[in-house]
Amino acid sequence: MRRIWYMVFKEFLQVFRDPSMVALIFVVPLFQLIVLSFAITTEVKHLKLVVADLDHSRESREVVRAFSHTDRFDIVGFTQDIEQIKAGMQNWQVQMALVIPPGFGRDLRRGIAPKFQVMADGVDGNTAGVAIGYAQGILLGVSRTVQAEHAPKLIPASVRPVVMTDRMWYNDNLSSRQYMVPGIVVVLLTILPMMLSALSLVKEAEIGTLEQLMVSPLKKIQLLAGKLIPFLILSYVELVLVTVLAVAVFQIEMAGSYGLLAGLAFLYLLTTLGLGIFISTLAKSQQQAMFVAWFFMVFMILMSGFFIPIENMPPFLQHLTYLNPMRYFMVITRDIFQKGSSLQFLINDVVPMAVFGILIFGSSVVKFRKHAG
Amino acid sequence: MNRLLAIARKEFLHIVYDFRTLFILFMMPVVQLVMFGYALNLEIQKVDLAVMDHAHSPASQDMVDGFRGSTFFRVFFYRGIESEIEHLFQSRQARAVLVIPREFGQKSPPDTVPDVQVIVDASDPNAAQVIRNYCTQVIQQYNGRQGRPLPFLFDFRPAILFNPDLKSTFFFVPGVIAMILIMISALLTSIAITREKETGTMEQILVSPVRSYEIILGKVLPYIFLAFLDAAMIVGVGLYLFDVPFRGSWLLLVGLTLLYITTALSLGLMISTRAKTQQVAMMAALFATLMPTIMLSGLIFPISSMPVPLQYVTQLIPARYYLLIVRGVMLKGSSFAQLVVPAMSLAIMSLVLLLVSIRRFRTTLEG
Repeated sequence: MRRIWYMVFKEFLQVFRDPSMVALIFVVPLFQLIVLSFAITTEVKHLKLVVADLDHSRESREVVRAFSHTDRFDIVGFTQDIEQIKAGMQNWQVQMALVIPPGFGRDLRRGIAPKFQVMADGVDGNTAGVAIGYAQGILLGVSRTVQAEHAPKLIPASVRPVVMTDRMWYNDNLSSRQYMVPGIVVVLLTILPMMLSALSLVKEAEIGTLEQLMVSPLKKIQLLAGKLIPFLILSYVELVLVTVLAVAVFQIEMAGSYGLLAGLAFLYLLTTLGLGIFISTLAKSQQQAMFVAWFFMVFMILMSGFFIPIENMPPFLQHLTYLNPMRYFMVITRDIFQKGSSLQFLINDVVPMAVFGILIFGSSVVKFRKHAG
Repeated sequence: MNRLLAIARKEFLHIVYDFRTLFILFMMPVVQLVMFGYALNLEIQKVDLAVMDHAHSPASQDMVDGFRGSTFFRVFFYRGIESEIEHLFQSRQARAVLVIPREFGQKSPPDTVPDVQVIVDASDPNAAQVIRNYCTQVIQQYNGRQGRPLPFLFDFRPAILFNPDLKSTFFFVPGVIAMILIMISALLTSIAITREKETGTMEQILVSPVRSYEIILGKVLPYIFLAFLDAAMIVGVGLYLFDVPFRGSWLLLVGLTLLYITTALSLGLMISTRAKTQQVAMMAALFATLMPTIMLSGLIFPISSMPVPLQYVTQLIPARYYLLIVRGVMLKGSSFAQLVVPAMSLAIMSLVLLLVSIRRFRTTLEG
């Protein structure tokens, strides 16, 4: 036992002796948390809008005013020339354009639906779709005000349309941050343990000190334990740090139990530390280890539902995500944070995650023993 | 010049002898491109909707049929009470619940009761927003069928340029190319110098008559070649597999891609002159490329939606410019004149990074 502690002590010394390592472990993730929790939003705001008002009537100015009063759109210019709009879109200067044809106000006053064109840059399909939806909403508002002036003759009051009310549970103002920050916790608990354990083992092999450790009286299991315990501790420190920051600084609501999160994090760390060991047995150099680790990570992050919902993927990829341990921990962490879920509701995700953890960790240890022997 | 080529040759041999790395280098990007080309999709579909129909009237039936008719929803009836909705959300059986009150469809509904209510599991706020919009649409259609049109006085015609079907793949495949290229390139060179330091061969190079800029440039050259092969391969796969249109000039894309690769390699090199160990170098390269590229370059999340200070930060991210280039050339058929700003930004960035690397390398030489 004492031998393991010497080994743990050595690993800690090695990490903390190198200031850039300390910076990478602590500062960079925090920086990411701060920057990314502001950046990650699929909300569409401040779209660059150009207006071609070919009508110049009171009504058309009303429409333009409605568009200038929202932060969804920023009016960046006025033009009379459609070709200029197209050129602007090609330059990425313009994302959307309103074209109000001549006769717009006149038709509206007479109760004829006037033509109204919106041009959008469709390269970013999601943004374009959302933006067109916004534009429609704004127009609907304008049409209601116009209607209020001319209402009685247009629609009989007896047929009232059905109106929908909505309630948004768990996140009533639809804040992206509430959803993304728990995800970042999971990402950090994936990257850090995997890279640290993979690189540290390969490094010993590469510079030849692994052999020295092998001929020392340490058993292989003790060697591995001595390597992994420090990384386990560091991962937990990271978890605490990020969670505290998320709750205290970013005002993320933590609806569930911290104890449950910490406990389930252990099951997940078995997986990521295990993958680190596994990678170290595959790779001959730190560079190779890095590339393989990178491959695992990008695969895991993108297939975890972190920012691309799994439900959106084609069925065969959805099935593939069941092989991704991160998928389970992503759901678990988000549900604990947002819904305050108890173990009872999470069991369907906890069981596969535990199975993956034990399998990956177990087989990696076995593989490491063979490999190193 | 000869010495420069000799260094380049040595570096090239290093790469070629290492089959495993070479294999990873060419297989991995293709696998990733294929997976992400299919996986990156922001179009939400097949939302499980629980219907609590307390009215059981022809009108409510018609309303539910409207939801059933849309491919967006997977509708199932739930005969329970409102307090069980929490359970539906917790167990993830439903992502939205439609509640139709008993009074629905009566001639004179009391004003206190809402017509219909939609309750959405908003833990994914983006999806929640989309679900709400769809529900509104379905109900508008219902109003239309029942002869109670919501007043909409415009003949609204959207015209969508460049990607009329709003396909996600057209947007993401060029994006994934940008992401893969910068990571491969930066990782490659990030250890180019650190490795020599760590294995002790740096001193041998230092005592040889090569100049510092020769070492730096000699180390970059072979990687430009390698990364460019990678680029050609993934662009080819992207075009072939995903039917992404190519509307611009090949030559322009080749030229600007070389520029982008140079920027990425210089970034890696800069890290390499700074880091003491390969481990630090690679972790730094990864943190400097992976997350910022995914999050801050406009790859997925629109830059215009970010807070203004962060928008300035995005100007430091090379992928931001290359995304404009690659999407512009492929989807919009942009000409060089239209891409001057991003191209110049990349050029300035590489120049600065290279100069800093050479300078820093020289100081390590003297120190």
